[in-house]
Amino acid sequence: MSVWQWLFRSEDRKSDLDAEIEAHLALAAADRRERGMGRDRAHAEAQREFGNVALVKDVTREAWGWVWLERLLQDAKYALRQIRRSPGFAAAVIGTLALGIAATAAMFTVVDGVLLSHLPYKHADRLVQIGEGQTVEGGDYLYVPYLDIEAWREQLHSFEAIAFDGGGFDGRNFLQGNGTAVQIGFTRISANLFSTLGVSPQLGPGLPNKPEGFAKTSDAQEVVLSDSAWRTVFGGDRNIVGKTVHINDEPYTVVGVMPRGFFFPDRSDDPQVWGPIVMGDKDQGHTGDSPGYGVIGRLKPGVTRASALAELKTVQAHVAMGYVDPEWRKHALQVNLRKYSGEQVRTDQRHALLALTAASSLLWLIACVNATNLLLARGSARQREIAMRGALGASRRRLMQQLTIEGLVLSISATVLGIGLAVGAISIFHRALKQVLPSPVPSWPSVTVLVALSGLTILSAVLSSAWPSWMAARLPIEPVLRQGGQQSGVSRAQHRLRGGLVIAEIAMSLALLASCGLLLRTIYALHHVPLGFRTDHIIVANLEIPTYRFAKTNATATIYQPLLERVQHLPGVDAAGLMTDVPLGHTFSMRLMLSQKSTKADQKSNAVVAEFKAASPSLQRVFGFPMFKGRYFNAQDTSSADPVVVVNRAFAHAFMPDEQDAGKIIGKDILQLSKDGPQKNKQARVIGVLGDFQQSAVGTPSRPEIQVSLPQITSDSGFYTVLEGIAMDLAVRTQRPPSEVIPELRAALKQASPELAGSNFTTMDQIVEDSYGSQMLAARLLEIFAGSALLLCVAGLYGLLAYVVSQRTREMGVRFALGAARGDVMGLVMRQAGVLVVAGVSLGLVLAFLSGKLVRNFLYGVSPHDGWTLATVAIVLMLAGALAAYLPALRAARVDPVEALRTE
Amino acid sequence: MAKEVYQNRIELLQGTLDLLILETLRWGAQHGYGISHAIRARSGEVLQVETGSLYPALHRLERQKWIASQWRLTEQNQRAKFYELTTAGKEQLVRDRSKWEAMVQAIAGVLGPVPEPEA
Repeated sequence: MSVWQWLFRSEDRKSDLDAEIEAHLALAAADRRERGMGRDRAHAEAQREFGNVALVKDVTREAWGWVWLERLLQDAKYALRQIRRSPGFAAAVIGTLALGIAATAAMFTVVDGVLLSHLPYKHADRLVQIGEGQTVEGGDYLYVPYLDIEAWREQLHSFEAIAFDGGGFDGRNFLQGNGTAVQIGFTRISANLFSTLGVSPQLGPGLPNKPEGFAKTSDAQEVVLSDSAWRTVFGGDRNIVGKTVHINDEPYTVVGVMPRGFFFPDRSDDPQVWGPIVMGDKDQGHTGDSPGYGVIGRLKPGVTRASALAELKTVQAHVAMGYVDPEWRKHALQVNLRKYSGEQVRTDQRHALLALTAASSLLWLIACVNATNLLLARGSARQREIAMRGALGASRRRLMQQLTIEGLVLSISATVLGIGLAVGAISIFHRALKQVLPSPVPSWPSVTVLVALSGLTILSAVLSSAWPSWMAARLPIEPVLRQGGQQSGVSRAQHRLRGGLVIAEIAMSLALLASCGLLLRTIYALHHVPLGFRTDHIIVANLEIPTYRFAKTNATATIYQPLLERVQHLPGVDAAGLMTDVPLGHTFSMRLMLSQKSTKADQKSNAVVAEFKAASPSLQRVFGFPMFKGRYFNAQDTSSADPVVVVNRAFAHAFMPDEQDAGKIIGKDILQLSKDGPQKNKQARVIGVLGDFQQSAVGTPSRPEIQVSLPQITSDSGFYTVLEGIAMDLAVRTQRPPSEVIPELRAALKQASPELAGSNFTTMDQIVEDSYGSQMLAARLLEIFAGSALLLCVAGLYGLLAYVVSQRTREMGVRFALGAARGDVMGLVMRQAGVLVVAGVSLGLVLAFLSGKLVRNFLYGVSPHDGWTLATVAIVLMLAGALAAYLPALRAARVDPVEALRTE
Repeated sequence: MAKEVYQNRIELLQGTLDLLILETLRWGAQHGYGISHAIRARSGEVLQVETGSLYPALHRLERQKWIASQWRLTEQNQRAKFYELTTAGKEQLVRDRSKWEAMVQAIAGVLGPVPEPEA
């Protein structure tokens, strides 16, 4: 039943009861007349016998059990009337609270979606990730060879099960069906992975998992589909199990479909396919050549991670003996274990999110304080009204209920508005968030977040609206009425409380403003970091490469070279180059570990992990990389010439730790590009050293990098697929506007290979902008938070002073009458404001100093306790405070003494 | 407002009013005035049901679906709201009755035989 129906029915029932009682009286009167009583007498007797009609109606209605609701509606109506009567006040309270809720709800939604949401696995808290080697920044997955996993599985007692996945790259994969090919994630897993995660397929048996076989029993051509792959490619065909599907032109048999919401390894809803890992001969060795896998273990119930790690270390001491190479043995001994989080949120992002959440909570707090202040002011202004109503017989409970409901109506409207704003804000920032965060952000706040936030907000509003009424209700009615509302004294304690609230507000706003200032300085500093290459007038296309088709041809000769030729001859194109991934591109990363024996007597060996990329010789003309020593690739570095590489200074230093001059690395042979073909068994020689440039993030130190010449990587090379078959960026230097050139480039790509037509275009400047990522987003959000906080702060101070002035109108009048000058009175108000602002600012500086710790991680080129920033922010706040105080002060100065004294 | 005090009449025991109403309706549909009249008559003018108790009770019983109401004409052509027992109401009456009888027996047991008035 809807509310309206219910209301109508309740009206019906009321008249029904009236009629029923009338009938009763009529029957009783008729009875009496029958016994010979006079008409009037009979009527009166019947009335007398019946008793108090109104009371009977009342108690009968109570039997319906709805009276309390009726009263509630009455109070709500009253509250709405109050809001209509003072729309400015209502708008201030609702706006303030909505702002606070919106910011916090939006932030919590992001945090909830990215950091807190639980994994769709059974008892996910018992899942751990095990890795070998030194954990690097960001906590990369550390891969483990099969023999070690097998040993762990046999010897460790802390684990219920150990499973593993992936290892080597397969490149991009395409699932073919219904005439289309959809790009999918194709993850190779051990047959027991799903059971280790505790999730069974919704359809089909899944990969056969026999405990004794561990990982070896499955057929390599069997696959399990994700729910989204099943729905998008096969339209949710329930008979899919047992059918043959094609991935990269190869046939596979579907043996299962995972349930909706399941993901592995990435938290994404993109189509995904899982197939069994195929073990090779290399899996039977303990060398740098053995493929590595990501390992996931399920701890037995009650086993802690610390004790599991202790056991693992003991066992690993024996396992590592299997490594002949001392460097690899050392690597293997550094075994580590951590909670399986299934997320790729980097530590810096986690910190950014948490810091922003703290900032938004601060804003929420400021908003609540502000609303409390407004409600308190109003409560004291209404003291007289409340006292009057008490005098007219309203019970205290009823009065409080009424005021509480007023608070409820205000805060609920604010909550609804705030949630609307939050949803809007999330959709506005969706693009920016997608750039920065690895996992999708929900577009709707979660129920928990909403309930918690609105609960707290409503509670604070209700408390602050009920408290003055409680205070007022306790006051003896008579003196309040006699004193007259305007001038009635508000207790000193309340005054002090409200002053304190304003000080707190100012202090918190200053902390927010300071953080915002520091981040803006950081962004400024980042913009002025020399990148080490040119970014202007460059269009970048991130090619969508059909790996499986390119693997069969030599794409270098048949696709990439002709493509470059064609693009270079487009009108207005100065230069065009290809590179596996442009600097700061973040689309693909390949790292190579080079291990070399030291020539020195101590036999200390030295391993270097380096970024590994292929680049066309023409790339130099696009980006203008400065050479530190030697030369970049040129047109002579073809597949028939001697293999060459270019490294950066960071590589040279890592490769030769004892050598001061990075140029000495030129001429050294560092790796073998190919085991077959024309370059068989030839070592690639370093021909040039690049000056350091920004590779993955602006402001972070350069990492070692090796570049090989694109024409020298042919399909014979082991590196062919990784360097050319998965990712390739086309960079074009042109003076013409991108909007003109991009269609022409797209046409050229389509001509080279039809699949490339869908490639993504952007500009190098945009890539650089995007690479500021978390700092930029944090700065933008903080600008909003701090700006709102400043606004609230000004509003709060203004509200308090305006109220104080209106309370003291009479006193001002007396002062004028006694000869005070306008300036004196103005000074009085300004002084009062000054005390509050100075106290707030000093407290805020302390707060900002402490919160410097929170933001330190995101700062670049500025100290967390930067004096200039703090001083600027303090001055901004003082100016804002002066502005907020000026209007009330002016009003005080314009008080007409005659008017003021006559108000009584 | 204080309840009126009826002299020479017994205050109804808590909870017995429902039983009396249900029992009265067992004899056929009746309106509020008729019910109070019947209870008073059948108790030999001893039990007087106040309207302030009767109507809340009727509405409560109707909400519990033990009785149903309908507007009808009386024999004197007067429109009145008639209540009648529902099936659930009949079952409830049986339950209330046996509970009441058990109660009477129990109280009688406690009180024992009426003592002889002292001579």
